[in-house]
Amino acid sequence: MTRYSQIAGEGRDASDLPVWRSADTLDLAYVGYGLLIVALVLVSYVLGVFNWLPHDPEQIRFDLLNAPPGSAGHLLGTDFLGRDILSRLIVAIQAYFLPGLVAIVISLVVGTTLGALAGYRGGGVEVLVTYFNNLVDSFPRLVLILLVIAAFKADIYYIMIIVGVTGVPVVASLVTGKIAFLRQKHFIEAAHVLGLPSHVIVLKHILWHHCAPLLVIRATIGMGEAILIETSLSYLGFGVQEPMPSWGNMVQAGANYFFQGKFWPSTAPALAILLTILGFHLLGDGLNSILEDRGGK
Amino acid sequence: MNKRIVVVLSILAVVVGTPPVSPAGPKNDGRPDGGTLGYGEYGRPSTLDPITSNEMVSLRITELVFNGLVGIDEKQEIVPELAERWEASKDSRTYTFFLRKDVMWHPKEGEEAKPFTADDVVFTYKIMMHPKTTTPLKVRYEFIESVEKLSDYGVQFTLKRPILNALAKFSFKVIPKHGPSHPLYLTREDPFVRQPIGTGPFVVKTITTDREIVLVANENYFKGRSHINKFISKPFADQNIMTQALMFNAIDMVVLVNPRDIPELQGDKRFVLQPYNALSYAFFGYNLRSPLLADKRVRQAFTYAVNRQEVLDSFFNGQGTLVSGPFAPGSWAYNLDVRPLPFDPQKAVALLRQAGFAPGPDGTLQKDGKKLTLSLKVPIEKESEAVKRVVLAFQNYLKNIGVAVKVEFKEWQAWKESVFQEHDFDIIFASWVFDDSADISSLFHSAEIGAWKNNFGGYSNPEVDGLIVESKLTLDHEKRRTINRKLHAILAEEAPYTFLWTLTNYSGYHKKLRRVAIHPYKFFSFADEWFIPAADQK
Repeated sequence: MTRYSQIAGEGRDASDLPVWRSADTLDLAYVGYGLLIVALVLVSYVLGVFNWLPHDPEQIRFDLLNAPPGSAGHLLGTDFLGRDILSRLIVAIQAYFLPGLVAIVISLVVGTTLGALAGYRGGGVEVLVTYFNNLVDSFPRLVLILLVIAAFKADIYYIMIIVGVTGVPVVASLVTGKIAFLRQKHFIEAAHVLGLPSHVIVLKHILWHHCAPLLVIRATIGMGEAILIETSLSYLGFGVQEPMPSWGNMVQAGANYFFQGKFWPSTAPALAILLTILGFHLLGDGLNSILEDRGGK
Repeated sequence: MNKRIVVVLSILAVVVGTPPVSPAGPKNDGRPDGGTLGYGEYGRPSTLDPITSNEMVSLRITELVFNGLVGIDEKQEIVPELAERWEASKDSRTYTFFLRKDVMWHPKEGEEAKPFTADDVVFTYKIMMHPKTTTPLKVRYEFIESVEKLSDYGVQFTLKRPILNALAKFSFKVIPKHGPSHPLYLTREDPFVRQPIGTGPFVVKTITTDREIVLVANENYFKGRSHINKFISKPFADQNIMTQALMFNAIDMVVLVNPRDIPELQGDKRFVLQPYNALSYAFFGYNLRSPLLADKRVRQAFTYAVNRQEVLDSFFNGQGTLVSGPFAPGSWAYNLDVRPLPFDPQKAVALLRQAGFAPGPDGTLQKDGKKLTLSLKVPIEKESEAVKRVVLAFQNYLKNIGVAVKVEFKEWQAWKESVFQEHDFDIIFASWVFDDSADISSLFHSAEIGAWKNNFGGYSNPEVDGLIVESKLTLDHEKRRTINRKLHAILAEEAPYTFLWTLTNYSGYHKKLRRVAIHPYKFFSFADEWFIPAADQK
């Protein structure tokens, strides 16, 4: 029975309950928290774009170096150059938002294309794609990024292009696997019999109806990864470059003063990283259980 | 004949176990021997010999392992070292050194210790000047015409021309003839550069897998065995934790305390903070090849725009002095009559106006449609937060007068290439460290423009060239001083750099270390006299 409902309903759940009703409370909590973080990120991005900030994030105050939270109107204190930490936290979203999207778009577009080709065509194409995936996977990501930085310069977009490219194999194999799974359900054959052209089958029936949730999940996790990679690079001094703030370079600069008892310049961005990445991952996780498991029910 | 006697004596010394000549052995000055000193270093030296090395980290090690013909004492006076006395000819063109006869080289692995002789001195000079030798020292010793061995313990140097303070130049470290594997030249591939032997108070024992360098006391040191048994150089990849390592007793000494950690150590009774003045200063150097920076009014404006005192006070706790010209303050050549330019942003703006710059639509100054946007390159390895602070503050000051500065952090090697080879930069932030000869010719003489030369900014001024040459040739100290004062005034006015400050360096160490005297440049020159009281030796 299930098989037919898959063909006829194209992804609709067997029960008529809305998605959120049939879901686990914990998953909903995950998704809720994740959405809250996404909303905060979006709001911060907008605030940053229009420069609606409590202070000028690049204003250096020689009289307020590493001032504790609350002093002189600085809610989270100031950093090693007396700059407002809260404003810099908000502006730092700029460092990730577009570059992170670039990384996600690259890995999703290239990954889905390759994955769909491999899964749908099979044979030689699949072998080629598998080789490509193995090739990309065999390079340690951080080393590749450092190579690119050495060859060009420490630019966040270059870094994110590499993050995008190295994210391709995961997406490609997910999509290939999904198609292999769908093939067992015969609706692809049915569509063929009905005379639908290949691109419609691939784009609409396979990708749109069956892979969309998967890709949304990958996108959320990808954003978290982008932030994490930038943070690691900043610790090595190769991430976003001052005076442009990023959470990574804020942690790195602040860590110099941690042992002196001035913990806030590094703790505030570190918490931001923790909570945000947690948010993206929980969102991905929650969506995964809600959207993916439901197909199998 | 003499040589044979010493060899015999030294063999006897090994057999009998007593030193052949009086001072070799314990110092017998009533201070206790023993104990270990672990000191934190800013990285791992690539070579440990005095010829090929060019970093401060190696310099400190070679100071413990080697000796020169003459030394410089705590009062900055020249004292005998490997040479027990010397004579200069009347025309000051020949210097004859009479060497000590009781000096032994550290024994090579599995071999007997060999005596130090005039051959080693001749060998060192020749290897230093050999074209295939990798060394920064060649230019310093081009004034020597020839060297001749008079006897096993006598050596004579003939100079091309008499020079001022010639004697001080003979403090170069002597290496053994039987040391390097190649008899004519020394490169960084020679095993000697990693396992050197010298005559100094400490013997390089091992380099551990953690790249710690272990040095043990030379029992036969000719000035008497050093009090402390063992020195261990411990490299720190993360400079920020060095002071913490000291406070948690992982090391006993930090050679250069990070300025921001000074208050913390000051408040701790277990430690001593000892200032020492290196002849050095920090600066922003300009690329005069850039049409935007060719006008000296622009460079002066930048100097006026930066509140250097504020930076010094806030970031370095005021531990330093502002500098007005090309010589290190504290050097005899420094001209105190030239005052550092005051902080005056209005004046800076006025100067830029005079130079033809006017604010553009976005607030950035421009001239003939060309924006005043400059790149400031900073090496990433030196990217301690102190450097970061200074560079970003500079960027901010210039932003305030309408100049856009793009800060670019570059990997060390790439930075050196773009500054010294490709000259692809507008501004750099760096510092120079000088020895006491106050020689600035390599920095500002026009003959020093070119790939891998020190006049990286391409500064060229016939008057300065003339004065530099004149100062090198004169034999009259007063006259030389006058010339240097003039040079100082001209270069301050021309502003090829924005001269910043010289910092008071502090060494921090555990108070169990006693009688610590520090050489301002070479650091460990007097380390054989340091000691640790018996109760603290552990």
